[in-house]
Amino acid sequence: MDASTSSQSLSFFDFLDRMRNPASINLVRSIKSFIVSFSFYPPNPESDGKRVQEFYLTMETAIREHPLWTGATEEEIDCAMEALEKYVMTKLFSRTFGVSHEDAKIDHEILEKICLVQTFLKPEHLDIPPILRNEASWLLAEKELQKINTFKAPREKLSSIMNCCRVINNLLLNAAMTENHVPAGADEFLPVLIYVTIKANPPQLQSNLKFIQLYRRQAKLISEPEYYFTNLVSAKSFILDLNDKSLSMDEIKFEENMKAAKLTTKVTSAASQVTQTNLANQHGEKKIPGGSITASPLQESEYPYLEAKSEEMTLKDVDRLLILYKDVVAKYTTLCKAISNLPPSDKEPILRCLESQGVGSMLELQPVIENKEASHAKEERK
Amino acid sequence: MGCSASLPERSSNQLGRGNSENGGGQDAKNLRVKLVLLGDSGVGKSCIVLRFVRGQFDPTSKVTVGASFLSQTIALQDSTTVKFEIWDTAGQERYASLAPLYYRGAAVAVVVYDITSLESFNKAQYWVKELQKHGSSDIVLALVGNKADLHEQREVPIQDGIEYAEKNGMFFIETSAKTADNINELFEEIAKRLPRPSTN
Repeated sequence: MDASTSSQSLSFFDFLDRMRNPASINLVRSIKSFIVSFSFYPPNPESDGKRVQEFYLTMETAIREHPLWTGATEEEIDCAMEALEKYVMTKLFSRTFGVSHEDAKIDHEILEKICLVQTFLKPEHLDIPPILRNEASWLLAEKELQKINTFKAPREKLSSIMNCCRVINNLLLNAAMTENHVPAGADEFLPVLIYVTIKANPPQLQSNLKFIQLYRRQAKLISEPEYYFTNLVSAKSFILDLNDKSLSMDEIKFEENMKAAKLTTKVTSAASQVTQTNLANQHGEKKIPGGSITASPLQESEYPYLEAKSEEMTLKDVDRLLILYKDVVAKYTTLCKAISNLPPSDKEPILRCLESQGVGSMLELQPVIENKEASHAKEERK
Repeated sequence: MGCSASLPERSSNQLGRGNSENGGGQDAKNLRVKLVLLGDSGVGKSCIVLRFVRGQFDPTSKVTVGASFLSQTIALQDSTTVKFEIWDTAGQERYASLAPLYYRGAAVAVVVYDITSLESFNKAQYWVKELQKHGSSDIVLALVGNKADLHEQREVPIQDGIEYAEKNGMFFIETSAKTADNINELFEEIAKRLPRPSTN
């Protein structure tokens, strides 16, 4: 916690203290009735934002004229206003944050887009020069941005954006100092911020930006904070509209990457569905030992011997079993080859996903399974 | 090329701590002005501002030197001060559609090109048209031909810059961020052209 944050929280308690003073009864009444008034209407972000901003201004005048703040410096008034904003918006948080369906839709679109792009995006695709490719700095910036949802107060959400930008800013300034590197300002800042945003995948980005814009005191969303806020808005738009022309990447290659990424996410969601059905089936009658494939009627026709017992089988079955076995092996080896041919960056998420699904590293297991199955088949032929 | 001598030595970056920043200090004597920089990447936009911000040696003035946001206050002869808040924008083509987010509400737009690149001059004209269409109506526009020290490689005649600026009601100047030529003149001229809030 840096000095400004701790002094801010001190001043928040100081504000609450003053509110407990009997002399503040009128201020407390206005605040309470303002908060209660929100339960009379359905949420409407635009007009709610306007009402809150007007309330801030009314309260600022009231605080300036209040006996408890007689002779207060500008800074003390400002602290009181920060505390007021925090108090009011924490109380109104569930009624004001993420209530717009439109924003929720955009949140989802951004999330989906980032999940896809994350699988293949490299710094060079945004022409980020090598001197700025500093994993440690980027990780720090990502962490700051990811904190955005841990706060309810608009000021704190905004400062998580500011902290992220501060890290990037320092990285750029250091690069300008150490090397014979010509500072390129925003030409470098924005790409790094976009890259960091994609890596961080901050939760509910659109809702958070909207919330800050509507409920951060207008007098505070100016100048430097406004600049960095605007940059994140701009990064968000870029990501949302990202297409085959947005990156330094061949258009065909981009499409391929997107397709592969979509496939991966489909496999992931399909796999998680299988696990879910498995879990549900655990209480059912049929259970396949060690298997992760459920025995639905449809799958029975596709894999006719899955439930078969050796004593039930006749010689006639061998031919069919062999054909099916060859088919399965052919499909399996093609799949393995396809995965191992992917660049490591694409392969890793798939392997990680398979591992997390309990499938294990299918690439390494390949020969073992093949041998086992082959000997099984031989035995059966006898 | 570019900034050479003006590499930042000690960064006094005070990101986010501007408590005493005193928002909206918009009285007639002390103006706070949002200035947006537009232009192709590589024309030296940030070098111009770095030169400007670092070139002011008034120890009382509060400066912010970020990598892409800078602020600097200058005092004019009529004892007014102008605090420039300078918003740099990414000049690469792929970010062109994002520019309106930045120039919205700007009092000044400085469009920069590189006199050794005809392409950057064409891009500058694109920005001017864009600003005339979508910028605020009373925005102060300046056209700047940078890298004037590289006159042997000049591709854009000074006359072309002057004529284009005149036609579009803009202030025109050629600068060199490298030699600091005309840098202060640029900002002083902008300050003079700002509309003043009317007071008694």
